[in-house]
Amino acid sequence: MTEKYDAIIIGAGVIGAPIAYELSKMGYKTLSVDKLHDAGEGSTAASCAIVRAHYSTEDGVATAYEGMKYWLDWANYLDNVQDEKGLAKFMNTGSLLIKSQGHDWRKVKGHYDAVGVAYEEWDNKKIEKMIPVINMWEYWPVKRPEDPAFFDPPTQKLEGGLFCPEGGYVNDPALSTHNIMRAAEKYGARFKFNCEVADIRSENNKAKGITLKDGTQFDADIVVNAAGPHSFKVNQMAQGVFETCNIKTQALRHEVMHCPSPEGYDYLNDGYHISDGDVGCYYRPEVGNMFLIGSEDPDCDPQVWPDPDAFYAGEGGPGESKELSKAQWKAQCYRLGRRVESLQVPEQPRGVVDLYDCSDDWIPVYDKSDMDGFYMAIGTSGNQYKNAPVVGRMMAELIDAVEKGLDHDQNPYQYELKYLKGRTFDMGFYSRKREINYNSSFSVNG
Amino acid sequence: MRIYVCVKQVPDTAASIRVIEGKRIDERMTFIINPYDEHCLTEAAKIRDARPGSEVIAVSLGGPSARDILRSALAMGAERSLHIQSERPHDAMETARILKAAIDLDGKPDLIFTGRESIDSCGMQTMFRLGALLQIPVLSNAVDVDIQEGEAFVSTEAELGSRLQYSLSLPCIIGAGRGLNTPKYPTFPDIMKARKKEIRTLDLQDLRFEPSASSMELLELRTVAEDRTPRPIEGDPDTAVEELIRILEQEARII
Repeated sequence: MTEKYDAIIIGAGVIGAPIAYELSKMGYKTLSVDKLHDAGEGSTAASCAIVRAHYSTEDGVATAYEGMKYWLDWANYLDNVQDEKGLAKFMNTGSLLIKSQGHDWRKVKGHYDAVGVAYEEWDNKKIEKMIPVINMWEYWPVKRPEDPAFFDPPTQKLEGGLFCPEGGYVNDPALSTHNIMRAAEKYGARFKFNCEVADIRSENNKAKGITLKDGTQFDADIVVNAAGPHSFKVNQMAQGVFETCNIKTQALRHEVMHCPSPEGYDYLNDGYHISDGDVGCYYRPEVGNMFLIGSEDPDCDPQVWPDPDAFYAGEGGPGESKELSKAQWKAQCYRLGRRVESLQVPEQPRGVVDLYDCSDDWIPVYDKSDMDGFYMAIGTSGNQYKNAPVVGRMMAELIDAVEKGLDHDQNPYQYELKYLKGRTFDMGFYSRKREINYNSSFSVNG
Repeated sequence: MRIYVCVKQVPDTAASIRVIEGKRIDERMTFIINPYDEHCLTEAAKIRDARPGSEVIAVSLGGPSARDILRSALAMGAERSLHIQSERPHDAMETARILKAAIDLDGKPDLIFTGRESIDSCGMQTMFRLGALLQIPVLSNAVDVDIQEGEAFVSTEAELGSRLQYSLSLPCIIGAGRGLNTPKYPTFPDIMKARKKEIRTLDLQDLRFEPSASSMELLELRTVAEDRTPRPIEGDPDTAVEELIRILEQEARII
């Protein structure tokens, strides 16, 4: 007999797991399916898991700041559940946004003020004191090392930065997702792994369930796409959904580098998370006293949009596969090498390559769809890990409201933030029907 | 002192190797300096720095991509470099003859470093063949080098935990082992300086070297598929620890 659930969530990553958790808490009987062997083992595991407040829109800042409160209160959020693997840790290093032409930091500052984000203004002197290996010369615009101008000497200094004492990263993104799964199970949520979805079944434009690759069927009137880099493929399985989304998603390849900290500098314990648009990088401490160096997707860098199945199967040549490319290794390490001149750059690339589930404007789609009962939490664009607990709650409330009759397209759901009291959030912001949001940074910064 | 460091580009150990036409590695993959050669460069720079007027010259044989490796060697401290251009593969016999000809053309060596082996072909031959051609002593797997007046005092790692000490007259060839030092990687200022350093290009036909009487031809290249499926160690903790020790001793042979 086909198993019947109230809601099926496709994907047990850091977005799918909190949706299952919150729906379960609301009394829904949920099933989460994932093609991998455990929770958070897909692109979530490769996330830099950075938790910072700066976004290009006020709503983005509010959501991120709200999300941070969950990470600061992790055990409580999980309802003090026991996880045999232990709990993930929020490393509250503090987060520095360097004022540069690479970020619209004045806008961010305005959003901080509007939302009430705690921050301090640091001038260059203070930054160089707090981070002794850094220099505050301006290197803008971001270039590649193949460009001779990359090596031009700087002529002027930057203007300091905005430091948020709250901010940092989560030490193990896969574990954090596993924690949420355990919390969800306490409320009866089921998780099934090694399950690859082959079809979304529907009748009269109403979701009815899913069929796995091996033919197994699960029934539910609610199906949620939280499939990460495979999101567009799942949307294509649901009749009429992909075509009726104005905002589309696609998998974007992204490389993150691990480069040893300069000799004598304990970046792991003394360092901050830093967003440095001037050199197109963000960086944070990584185990082994490494600098984890991510790219802020400058225009001069190539973008590769692989088929996610081929990518994870190990296909694709240099610069397209799951292996780091030397050109990008040099680009990101040399960019940071300008800021931190004592950084030693080994010859052999080290780091992580994975996929973003990238939307047209780098802002997610948290929405219903044109098929009744089919919902989407997709297009996270590399910048939603920190928001995951908020997204879980927001999606659960949206689903509940729509299932009870709300016409969300006409009258968007207003989400009331739980920590930032008195602030509501218009979920129409994340609509699939929206026009491209040109206020976005069109980068991992969101 | 004039110190030559022979460097070779090898496939990145973290990359998947693709073989083309059964004979060649797909060269679009990432190549790195042979890791043992990084120890050579670090040691050579240390010896040079202690002797004013000394220089370190990196030498590499290969196609255009060998220049990338030489640029890295220059960033790691070499003053200048020799690129012997060749698009075809060479066996150790021929490589040693070519290296000798290039070094002869450039200058008189006081000391030559090579890695104890290259991590791609793992032949461990070139340094000995080069030593025979130059008629100078060779020692491999060095973990400590002390240069005194006209002499090199070198420790090698024989077996795990034991060291042998030698004294070699200069010039000599030293094959660097992993324990020799911690490689000093370049900083951005080092990389900047390296951009302006010389890579002298030598054409194979301009080098006078005797072809070797015999040669080795590569007939086929195959990748080895390693089974990386994890194997659980079953049983209670005492049994599991015993099994782990057995694996480390008898299978991995690392204790």
